[in-house]
Amino acid sequence: MKNGKRLTPEFLKQLRLRRIAVVHPRDEDGDVLMQQLQRIGCRAQAFWPPPKSLPSDTDVIFCAVQPAAAPTALEWLQSCPGAVIIAVIGYENPTVFDDMLQLGASGVLTSPLRSMGVMAALVMTLALSEEVQALHKRVVRLEQKLSSVNQINEAKLILMRTRGVNHTEAYRMIREQAMSKRIATEEIARAIIHANDILSS
Amino acid sequence: MSRVETSMLFGTMFSIEEINDAGGLGGRELVPVHYDPQSNPARYAQLAAKLIQEDKVNVIFGCANSNARKAVLPVIERSNRMLFYPMMYEGFEFSPNVIYTGGTPNQHNAPLAHYMSNRFGPRVYMVGSDYIFPYESNRTMSDFILQQKGGKKLGERYVPLDAQEKDFSAIVQDIKQKQPDFVFSTVVGQSTRMFYQAYADAGLDPRQMPIASLSTSECEVAEMGNRIAEGHYTAAPYFRSISTSRNRSCVARFVKRFGDRIEPNMSWEAAYFQVQIFAKAISQVGEDAYHALLPNVLGCEIEAPQGDIRVDPVTHHTRLHPRIGRVNASGQFTIVAQALSAIDADPYMISHDLNDWTHALQIVGQDGNDTI
Repeated sequence: MKNGKRLTPEFLKQLRLRRIAVVHPRDEDGDVLMQQLQRIGCRAQAFWPPPKSLPSDTDVIFCAVQPAAAPTALEWLQSCPGAVIIAVIGYENPTVFDDMLQLGASGVLTSPLRSMGVMAALVMTLALSEEVQALHKRVVRLEQKLSSVNQINEAKLILMRTRGVNHTEAYRMIREQAMSKRIATEEIARAIIHANDILSS
Repeated sequence: MSRVETSMLFGTMFSIEEINDAGGLGGRELVPVHYDPQSNPARYAQLAAKLIQEDKVNVIFGCANSNARKAVLPVIERSNRMLFYPMMYEGFEFSPNVIYTGGTPNQHNAPLAHYMSNRFGPRVYMVGSDYIFPYESNRTMSDFILQQKGGKKLGERYVPLDAQEKDFSAIVQDIKQKQPDFVFSTVVGQSTRMFYQAYADAGLDPRQMPIASLSTSECEVAEMGNRIAEGHYTAAPYFRSISTSRNRSCVARFVKRFGDRIEPNMSWEAAYFQVQIFAKAISQVGEDAYHALLPNVLGCEIEAPQGDIRVDPVTHHTRLHPRIGRVNASGQFTIVAQALSAIDADPYMISHDLNDWTHALQIVGQDGNDTI
């Protein structure tokens, strides 16, 4: 006897709400892809030839990557910066991989397309891109935090030098200022650094 | 071969005989080539290859569960043949070479969850065989139950596919102690009988706390005996007890030809009508090669014993008539609820909304004093 805990992850429940653009020729692969997306129940729209722009609320773009002499700039990429890209490739060679990565693809399907595999690629790409986005946000937050710690340290050193106080006292002065002016300690620190720059120049 | 698998074989043979008795297809006799894969997926794949390579068969009827179908699929696809698959399954599949006639969770699990939670309450205990169909069924059932006010999952247990009665003793004691509103069973095959037996032996009363199943058909009821089965529920698009003249006449013809050993049931019916779909399609095109046959199978509508059904051209799945039955004293199902109209399969439906069923499910007979 085994115990189980089956439940649908929230992320998968939202799958049918994703807006999908298919930038692919209307050939056999294009048909397989559009029909499978219809079965999965996603809102999918086909675009060919590649348009100048795509709907700005697009969540996922399936895009045919065809070998070309030089990688072409894709104008539509600018129109929906938040979308994740799944490349559809006919060749598994370095030229095509390079084009695919230039495009910013985070998922891939290979031609000839089969119905099976489309949903797996979709789920995998969306899950990974959510994880990457969460990590990206965290990196931005950490960078901000690091820079504010540096600024507060620098401001403390200025106060210690100019006022002859110790670490604890310097920090207390910064915090008191921040509280009385109702602004962040980082801003007080920046003001001190700024004032010091002016006075010492 | 399990009792249900045998019934599917007989449903198929019966359908072929009827077609031949009516003059065959364009004056030609339909000749079945039959092998017994002994419920073994690897054997299924070997015999499918043999049917195609040695017997030059273009169309295959069969496979009794997802494991068998997944084993046969690459053989069918590589040789571009057609498979008619008559079992209800967990969905999330599309092969251009398969026609799915048994239905998907939106046609089975959803109406069952809706009916049971409204009729008995939303606190459920789940018991299933240890494979993909119960996992998926319990996933959707959990979603349903947790949508309900007061909904709660009191247990989710899996037993081996060949579980014996002793494997269920701890489970039925746990059920007895936790007192759910109903039990959801996705125990399949021979061990179905063991579970219902253990349930009865523990003194659990289906009038207070019934088992709801997707796979306990007339066959399993016959195996376990009416006394043990009475009062429990099953969702299916077909029960032998459907009282239309079309169904009564079909069952009568079958019994006249094959006797009473085989119980008509949901899988038997799908096995029967899918040959009729094939016959209708082939009568329009005159040959059975995949590319010729497929366009005539897709969109095909026929009068099945359960009601009029249709093969959806996009999903290759079949529009069916969801019903809920309760086992009565004579071992047949009293139909207590049925869909107001036939429902298309939605094989890729991840998240079901129970409210969709509020107006779609009609209560039948004495059971219908409360609206669901």
